Amino acid sequence: MKEHRRQVYRALIRQKSAVIGASILIFFILAAIFAPLVATHDPREADVISRLKGWSKEHYFGTDKVGRDIFSRIVYGSRISIKIGVVAMTFSISLGTSLGIIAGYYGGWLDNVIMRVMDMMLALPSILLAMVIVTILGQSLTNVIIAVSIVYIPQYARILRASVLIIREQEYVMAARVIGASDLRILTTAVLPNCLAPLIVQATLGMGAAILDAAGLSFLGLGAEVGEPEWGAMLNENRALIRRAPWTVMTPGIAIFLIVLGFNLLGDALRDVLDPQVQT
Amino acid sequence: MNEQYLHHFTVVMLLCFISVAHAANSDPIIGGTLIFGRGGDSIGLDPGHEEDGESFKVCENIYDTLVQYKDESTEVEPGLAESWETSDDGLTWRFHLRKGVAFHDGTPFNADAVLFSLNRQHDPNHPFHNVGGPYIYWSHTGLAEIVDTITALDVYTIQITLKRPYAPFIYTIAMTPFSIVSPNALRKWKEDFTNHPVGTGPFKFARWDRGDKVVLEVNKDYWGGRAPLDRIIFRSIPDNSVRLIELQNGSIHAMEFPNPDDLPQIREDPALQIIEQPGMNVGYLAMNMDKKPLDTLKVRLAVNHAINKHDIITHLYQGMGVPAKNPIPPTMWSYDDSIEEYTYSPEKAKQLLNDAGYPNGFDTTLWALPVPRPYIPDGQALAAAIQSDLRRVGINAKIVTFDWGTYLAKIKNGEHDMAMLGWSADLGDPDNFFYYLLSSEAAQKPAGNIAFYRSDEMQEILVQAQSITDQAKRTELYKKAQAIFHRDMPWVPLAHAKQIVIINKKVQNLKLHPTTWKYFRQIWLEE
Repeated sequence: MKEHRRQVYRALIRQKSAVIGASILIFFILAAIFAPLVATHDPREADVISRLKGWSKEHYFGTDKVGRDIFSRIVYGSRISIKIGVVAMTFSISLGTSLGIIAGYYGGWLDNVIMRVMDMMLALPSILLAMVIVTILGQSLTNVIIAVSIVYIPQYARILRASVLIIREQEYVMAARVIGASDLRILTTAVLPNCLAPLIVQATLGMGAAILDAAGLSFLGLGAEVGEPEWGAMLNENRALIRRAPWTVMTPGIAIFLIVLGFNLLGDALRDVLDPQVQT
Repeated sequence: MNEQYLHHFTVVMLLCFISVAHAANSDPIIGGTLIFGRGGDSIGLDPGHEEDGESFKVCENIYDTLVQYKDESTEVEPGLAESWETSDDGLTWRFHLRKGVAFHDGTPFNADAVLFSLNRQHDPNHPFHNVGGPYIYWSHTGLAEIVDTITALDVYTIQITLKRPYAPFIYTIAMTPFSIVSPNALRKWKEDFTNHPVGTGPFKFARWDRGDKVVLEVNKDYWGGRAPLDRIIFRSIPDNSVRLIELQNGSIHAMEFPNPDDLPQIREDPALQIIEQPGMNVGYLAMNMDKKPLDTLKVRLAVNHAINKHDIITHLYQGMGVPAKNPIPPTMWSYDDSIEEYTYSPEKAKQLLNDAGYPNGFDTTLWALPVPRPYIPDGQALAAAIQSDLRRVGINAKIVTFDWGTYLAKIKNGEHDMAMLGWSADLGDPDNFFYYLLSSEAAQKPAGNIAFYRSDEMQEILVQAQSITDQAKRTELYKKAQAIFHRDMPWVPLAHAKQIVIINKKVQNLKLHPTTWKYFRQIWLEE
């Protein structure tokens, strides 16, 4: 197992896209962790006198329409975005995985019920479903996280179910069953570890998608509270200024683009490395 | 000698200018279609039921009122009533109607039509009283309580009797919601009259594509002479930047509500012109006095001292507004300029909070206006700036916002701590601000007085000012009301915005009015 991990790691750093993707992500994660040290201003401190200033030494990325420092808002915004990505994915992975394993392992009517519900959820465009959920729960960042988590559950359930269907017929699973191991033990020691590869890939890609969805919700005014340094909300706030002060819109746009790109590059590379069918 | 020569020269030059200007203004070009870009669509076109500017903007061109506001003034002049007189006690008003006027559907205008239009609003037993929804303005202006009877003395004379003297009556009856509608058309369309409006005005209704445009055609037989334009199209373009792009491309001729930040760019555009005048409005931050700790005077004063109003208004409104200190605008008679405003001073604010027992500040909510209104062009930016100022003195305000309808419903119901709102005058009388926004009566839910400010002293003065007609005495009373307001400070008065319309230079003779949008009947388009 250890040897396998080392192999994967080595294969991964040979992939250029993995290195670029990971570097971008590490960059953002560091910014998020050390936000108070990195930021040059208080992200919520308005100063109307110096509003809509361009890039300068004082304000690296300029200021927005009430004179808040955009660089500091981007830095603090990475905290929000990464939090959404991580929390939402943890949530939907745990739920989706459990549902997928149960459906795949036990089969029968349980499988049917779970997977038809998942199909129903997949039939709706993810952003639409998330909008409905946020509208019902009310506008707040927590509810955005809940909405995004729910939306991504079916993907994990499907992937896990597919893997489990194959794995449960494998000889080592049969063997475990023959020695009298309980279902729980079989699932956690024999089945789950062997489903991890596709799960990791999907989780990495999903993280980017979750951040994008959350930014989309905030852009539509359904996400972060007004005035919070959330990237999607920043885009929305300054939308009308795109001709007068393009940097107010471009900077958060580029930030969203970069972090999603980071996750996608890393995700793609992971798939190349982990998926035996793609390996050459 | 030289001076005199110069003087003569100046006079001659001036005369030249005046005559040139006069020549340009005196012969309007007949014909053409004006396309007007606005922020939203009308809600309905039956004036009696409406309460929003976008509906009135169109209704004013289709209908006439008994008396109407003069150009560029809030005084009244004859409309459908040629003359009027009032009894000495101010309780009986007699209107002599204009003869030979016809509705757009050909039916004649007479006392019956006036009775029908006003009694459907006033008389609960009128067959059309319950058709098409409530008569919002009739009740909000207090006419429902103040008016006793509306009767016809003969075919061209109307008599309205009041239960108590009401000084602004003649100005109130000039408001668009009290327009005269065609009884014939209303009987035909019933509830659907709102989509098939018929009046006596300078323009006839042609078509309405909801959410997109309203088209009006000129009424060639208008009693006041035909309007120069053949057609007006009111287009709804909600996004301020998109509307400006359309204006620059020439697909619309005039627009409202530019982004303040686009003004410098508009000023540089040789094809465009900014028409502006001081508006009669106020944007304010109401502090809900039913909620702690805003019920404490010192806390409200601290909030007033904490907000750097002058910088915020100067920079966020970009010259589209001036900072406010009173609840009524400087353009309104009785405005008291001697009131000394609470200046920006975080130290004083902290001191006041300390004295009030909140040395570490407090948590509260700040409700941000969700749509651009003339008095607050960008509620969220304003909220962010105010939030930042409040945080400096320890007040931690969470910004809250909803869609427009929900926002209004919730603040009228008193769910907020601090909420932004504004008021644009319907008529040139301070009563229109004070009674609706600051009387105890208006503090009943759904409230117009969203600070829930209840002062017996204020209430008494406001009622007294309503019932006397002597302008000098009323001015005194409203000055007193401003002083009481200043002492109790239920709001942070924010700004009085200018009224602004951006036009293509082809548009001629557009004159803004402080309370109405009547200007369309005078406009013409140069080739």
